[in-house]
Amino acid sequence: MARAKARPTPQQQPVKQRTANRLLILLTVIALIPFSLPTLIVMFIGLLPALVAALLERGDNRYAWICVGGLNFSGLAPWLFKLWFGHHELSYAIQEITDLSMLLTSFGAAAGGWLLYMGMPPVVTTVLAATSQRRAIVLAAQQRKLVEQWGDEVVVRIDEEISVDL
Amino acid sequence: MANEQQKAVGTPVSLRERYLIYPSSALPDLATPTAQAFHAEDRRDQAKAAFALVARPGFPVRINALRALKGVECSGLMNLLEWGVVDWPPANRKVMVLVYERPLGGRVVTSLTTEFKPIEESDAVRKVINPLVAALKALKLVNLSHRAIRPTNMFWATAAKDRIVLGDCATAPPAYEQPVLVEPIESAMAHPAGRGAGTSADDVYAFGASLSVLLQGISPVAALDDEAIIRQKIVQGSYGVLIGEARMPLPMIEILRGTLCDDAHERWANEALDLWLHGRRLSPLVAKMEKRAGRGFIFNNKEYFTSRELAIAMARNWEAAPPFILDGRLELWLRRSLENKEKANAVANAAQSAGAEVDKRGALETLVTKVCMILDSRAPIRYKGLAVMPDGFGSLLALAVVEGGDVRIIAEALMRETTKAWFETRDAYNPDNSMLEAHIRAQKTFLDRGTIGNGMERVLYELNETMPCISPWTVDNYVLELRDLLPALNAAAKKADGKGWPVDRHIAAFIAARANFDIERQMSDLALPDQEHSTLGMLNLLATIQWRVGQGGLYGLAAWVAGVMQPAINSFHSREKRRELEKETMRIAREGSLVEMTRLIDNPQDRQMDQLGFDEARAAWAAAQREIMDVEAGRLSNQGDAMRTAQQVAALISVTIAFITVTLLLIAKVL
Repeated sequence: MARAKARPTPQQQPVKQRTANRLLILLTVIALIPFSLPTLIVMFIGLLPALVAALLERGDNRYAWICVGGLNFSGLAPWLFKLWFGHHELSYAIQEITDLSMLLTSFGAAAGGWLLYMGMPPVVTTVLAATSQRRAIVLAAQQRKLVEQWGDEVVVRIDEEISVDL
Repeated sequence: MANEQQKAVGTPVSLRERYLIYPSSALPDLATPTAQAFHAEDRRDQAKAAFALVARPGFPVRINALRALKGVECSGLMNLLEWGVVDWPPANRKVMVLVYERPLGGRVVTSLTTEFKPIEESDAVRKVINPLVAALKALKLVNLSHRAIRPTNMFWATAAKDRIVLGDCATAPPAYEQPVLVEPIESAMAHPAGRGAGTSADDVYAFGASLSVLLQGISPVAALDDEAIIRQKIVQGSYGVLIGEARMPLPMIEILRGTLCDDAHERWANEALDLWLHGRRLSPLVAKMEKRAGRGFIFNNKEYFTSRELAIAMARNWEAAPPFILDGRLELWLRRSLENKEKANAVANAAQSAGAEVDKRGALETLVTKVCMILDSRAPIRYKGLAVMPDGFGSLLALAVVEGGDVRIIAEALMRETTKAWFETRDAYNPDNSMLEAHIRAQKTFLDRGTIGNGMERVLYELNETMPCISPWTVDNYVLELRDLLPALNAAAKKADGKGWPVDRHIAAFIAARANFDIERQMSDLALPDQEHSTLGMLNLLATIQWRVGQGGLYGLAAWVAGVMQPAINSFHSREKRRELEKETMRIAREGSLVEMTRLIDNPQDRQMDQLGFDEARAAWAAAQREIMDVEAGRLSNQGDAMRTAQQVAALISVTIAFITVTLLLIAKVL
């Protein structure tokens, strides 16, 4: 009985694994603080939209934070490069995070990411619908050919039980 | 003059390339009521006088009699030289022809209703009795009953008129043309076509009756109708009716009493006739009269004193009889007045059984039949006005069918198993009866089924072994045996002109009755209601016969069959296969092979492949239809998948932009 209680259910397993992953990332970030605190500060502030998206997103398909994060990072990347290839210091990092143009660029890019995430499904659905219409025409042609080959008897009511051993 | 050799005119018809029959040279003097006579010649012996009898088209001919009599040479029989089927131009069809040696002295008596010169008693033995007894003996030897012995069917064999011969007996059913005068009481009661083959005892009776007429020069009952003759024979005995007060020498009285005895068991047989001819005088038989009741039985306002008379009256007044039987009046009369306990008990039992039956009307009708049998066990089966001997059902049915009579009553009599009741009321066991009973009982099964290959048509051919197939397709070709059928259908193909099936109810029944090989499956298929299977059944049936009989080159029939094969070809689903079969069927039809055609159309492998392909096509059509319906309903194959795909694309674009940005920045820094 006790052993049965101790064993996690299938639903519990990914949640536990996710928690472990998050813990690992947190530990890695903490470990990096002494060596790259300026980068972390800039990234934390600059990638806030991606972070919020990652924290808020629910469900099995978590692509919103990637979509937002990708463009968010693109917007932040010039300032990160300046930090890495210029003065990798805390003061410079603070100067950058207070720079309005950096905030506007990275956050604007993140907004673009959101827009991309929101706008892509209708586009894809439209494309798929068009493809399906063409598929329906092909299928109807195939059906006509079947009727030509086998006669009207080949036509079955779709709710009819088809007991065919293929 | 009948004995003069008539000059042959016109184009002759050849029988077996030996006998020439002249349709334009009719010989009415030698004709029978059912067969016309024509002049004939023997090509090998032109001096031999011959004539041909042409049987009435459609009439069942006694082929067994022809087989038995051909080649039999007897002083008392017209010699049958040959018989067979020929094309007969006057009728524009094939007919059965019998070639006999021609009697040169003409017919002995032309009519029984007029007086003629009697045979002298001194000549009777030499001219009549000797040859006719020889004929009876010859018939007995070939196990055949003549059943056409009557004065009007006797001929003077020679121009000198010194010997009588019996005329033809094969062109009509047994005893069909016999007047009541020369038939034993029980046979006389039956319908002329339903008298059955009978036995040699019936021939002896007919011989005795004919002799009595020949000796007297007149029919003693010429003024009476058939019913009155039968009644008088029952009351007075046959001898009393046919001889009466006529003066006869003692030896003649002896032979007449012996041959006219009403009890077939006591009637003289050939041995007794032989003894008489050799001069041994036997004590004359005393006629046993029917037992008379002390008090008459009043039925239909008429009084009857013998059970036989009463049976006749009840059989004639069918509807009126049941109350007399059911209320016990008949039983009481039999027990008290006729003092016949056995018959009284049998009537009581029959009445009791009828009361317990669910089908009251049918039970009452059968009850009257049974009671008639109990009252007169020697009489024929009498059912609702029908009077027929058990072995006469076949010829009666044949005549009814050929002449367009009512066959329903015959079918009803068979369905109600009246023959079973007849066999149950026999006084003594007869092994021949068992076989006949089983054969007739089997007919009920065919009537019960009623499908093509069964029904009345099947009964017709089962009960008449020598009945030609009377289907409209074959009737002109006189198809007697299965091997004649396909050539006849081949010839009928032109007439059919592709309309209708080559196998109709008559042909199917004929095949079922005559085939001596297994055709059960083909017959079952033929009877199926759907045309696809029944057409295949028909093809298989004809192909089986062609294969068994070994007949090829049936071009007309093959083309006819191919023309009606469309339903069978359409049983294939594949249109391509259909087109191929249509083409191949026509090619095979030109070869005249039904066997090849059945191999082509009824190939199990092809059918299996076709079914398999069809099933796959149906499944494919259904799958396509489901997908089309999804599209039409605006449903993508999976909404969730579409959303995920869109998000993946968005993420991919985003990451790609990020990657490109980083790469470009790196390049800018390096350069």
